[in-house]
Amino acid sequence: MLTLGIPAFLLAGALAMGVPLALHLIRRRPPLRAPLPTARFLTEDPRNAVRVSRPTDLRLLVLRMLLLLLLGLALARPAWVPAPEGTSTLVLLDRGSAMRGDGWRAALGEARRSLLGADGEARGELVMFDTAAERVPRNRITPALFDSLLLAGASDHPADYAAALRAIPASARELRGADSVRVRMISALADGGWTPGLAPLRRAAWPGTLDLARVPLVPIVHDSGYAPRPPLTALTLSARGGGFASAALGAAGLEGGRADPGAPLATDAAVYLLMDAPSAATAAQLLERARAGATLIVTPAAATDAIRAALPWTGGFAVARNSAGGAMWFGPELELAGAAGRVEAGRPADGARVAAAWEDGRPAALAKPLGSGCIVFVGAELEGGELPYQAEYPAALARLARACASTVPLALDARPLDPGALALLRGRGPASVPASALASEAGIGLGRWVLGAAILIALVETWLAYRRRRVVG
Amino acid sequence: MSAASDFLPPRMLERLGGLDLIARTIVSGFQTGVHRSPHRGAGEDFAKHRDYQQGDDVRYLDWKLYARTDRLHVREFEERSNLQCWLVVDTSASMDYAEPEGVTKARYAAFLAAALAHLMLRSGDAVGLATSGGDAKLLLPPRSRRGHLHDLLLHLERMQPAGTGAMAGALDRVGGAMTRRGRVVLISDLLEDDGGDALVTSAGRLRARGDEVIVMRVLTPAESGERAPGAGLFFDPEKPGQETAATPDADAGYQRRVTAYYDGIADRLRERGVEYVPLTTAQPVEEALVAWANLRRGP
Repeated sequence: MLTLGIPAFLLAGALAMGVPLALHLIRRRPPLRAPLPTARFLTEDPRNAVRVSRPTDLRLLVLRMLLLLLLGLALARPAWVPAPEGTSTLVLLDRGSAMRGDGWRAALGEARRSLLGADGEARGELVMFDTAAERVPRNRITPALFDSLLLAGASDHPADYAAALRAIPASARELRGADSVRVRMISALADGGWTPGLAPLRRAAWPGTLDLARVPLVPIVHDSGYAPRPPLTALTLSARGGGFASAALGAAGLEGGRADPGAPLATDAAVYLLMDAPSAATAAQLLERARAGATLIVTPAAATDAIRAALPWTGGFAVARNSAGGAMWFGPELELAGAAGRVEAGRPADGARVAAAWEDGRPAALAKPLGSGCIVFVGAELEGGELPYQAEYPAALARLARACASTVPLALDARPLDPGALALLRGRGPASVPASALASEAGIGLGRWVLGAAILIALVETWLAYRRRRVVG
Repeated sequence: MSAASDFLPPRMLERLGGLDLIARTIVSGFQTGVHRSPHRGAGEDFAKHRDYQQGDDVRYLDWKLYARTDRLHVREFEERSNLQCWLVVDTSASMDYAEPEGVTKARYAAFLAAALAHLMLRSGDAVGLATSGGDAKLLLPPRSRRGHLHDLLLHLERMQPAGTGAMAGALDRVGGAMTRRGRVVLISDLLEDDGGDALVTSAGRLRARGDEVIVMRVLTPAESGERAPGAGLFFDPEKPGQETAATPDADAGYQRRVTAYYDGIADRLRERGVEYVPLTTAQPVEEALVAWANLRRGP
């Protein structure tokens, strides 16, 4: 089926065809007046005496009209689409770890309604993804497939949306015959990983829409080997301050307290927030408590040699201090803005988990199991800048306190999200992207071939006109 | 004789440049050589012996042969003709007509006249030039001297077709200027208002007094009806005010009428012993000369 990107151009070309025709007919030329010494032997032919307009060179007229039509057609962006099949559906089903439990059941129900008709026949394509995307053959899309998926449950791996987005163009090509393709993503949209997929998504071309079906995120409790005990108490160790942090931890539900890092630990706590350099003995005590099950949060100012070896961070500790240290992302729903300084050197240690990321994607906080407990390194001064004045401050500290717990959604795989992806994730962006907003070049483009034909016709027309002028001249 | 395909078409001759070179090229193609007189007598080139007859000039007796054979023979020589020839070229306005990518009839006539002059002067004839049409006059009296060809070619180059005029007047003037028997070659399209009556009469008069008269009719293929033009308003260049709306290529009677006109003139000329050579500007000039020569030799 021939489709046109901008049909108005074809209409314009068709109208323009009338111009040479009209000129040809309107132009009233006198009949050819020529000498002929033997004119005395001619007989009068009255038809030639009147000033009539007769087509003098039909070939040129036809070529000129055809040229205009083809130019209009070429500008109309013609494309050949094999066969119309109505609207097809492409479902991107998130089977990542965030979909476990009732979320998985809901997602499967949504996919089933989207893909299976009343007769149980598949009406579209199915792509399932977690860390990678897998296209399910259409003949396998049956009610039984969804039953088996329900039994199998969701994956243990986090979802990589980029993988799903990258699969769209290839899968949409399979649906090329359709008039339009409705891409429907079924996900809890609980994690990051969008950005790498957005570029191919924007380049992807399919006539249709992109739909996001958000499945409610259901908190799932994992039975992990290093899950800490629920923190009950938090101790802030600071030589110069710590009041803000202590208060914030208290606001987050952790019973707070303050102590001097230079003095031996007198009280036991589930969480230790170390904001200044401790004495060697205190450092040893803290590490020992961490190995025993506590969570030790260390800021750059407190990372002494005694502690540094255990940190989920290697390399330098060059701290850049300015008034705009940036914002830390803890996940789609938590952003902490206004840090005064940040660590600009070093890199995460092996096995470290990113608990927060800077806007530019670098890790801002890392967590690593230490014995039965956990040690967290935060690359910013937790009481510097405007951090303590942020409404999210208590929640952020509480998130750091539980950084090693796998039940907590982690931060974005160290990648920041662009505003479009964030808007989608937060539910504030458009749920549907109209096809016209995407690059649309569906089917086999014919424009350049039509343009080539027009150029060929222009050359033939030029040659014929030149030859005619020579003969007349 | 050269094959017709070896001859240069007139439009190619035109590119050669001056008439002198064109005439030489035509003559070169016309391999039958100079015209030879049918008379054999006391010329310069020995032809053959024949038996002596009473009345023969004893100066031509071959005494050496008599000594060997004991019989009297006279020597015969090929005689240079030394005719008085007039080339009469039509320069009326109708001769200025040409077809696309062709030469005008006037130019074709000039080629023909130049080639004939070349041939005639080589055979010792005296050649003169006269024109008919708007500027009818006797341009050059017959001469056979060296350098006369140059004058002839110069006048032929300068001829400008214009005006109208009857051929008969030109032939009469030439006849009056001829002091002895000679040859008159008329090159024209023969488009006469009276249907050629006066022309035939004048040509017949010349023939009757013993002159050799040759009429070479020159037309373009369009005029002859071979390649008639399409629809239009046509006019005779000699009568530009009279236009005829016609479609010659769709008019079957056009060619028939043209043919009938010229056949009528040709018949009447032949009846009076005038040689008639129909030509078109599409023919190579050499081919025209060959056709004429063959015509004169007879079957």
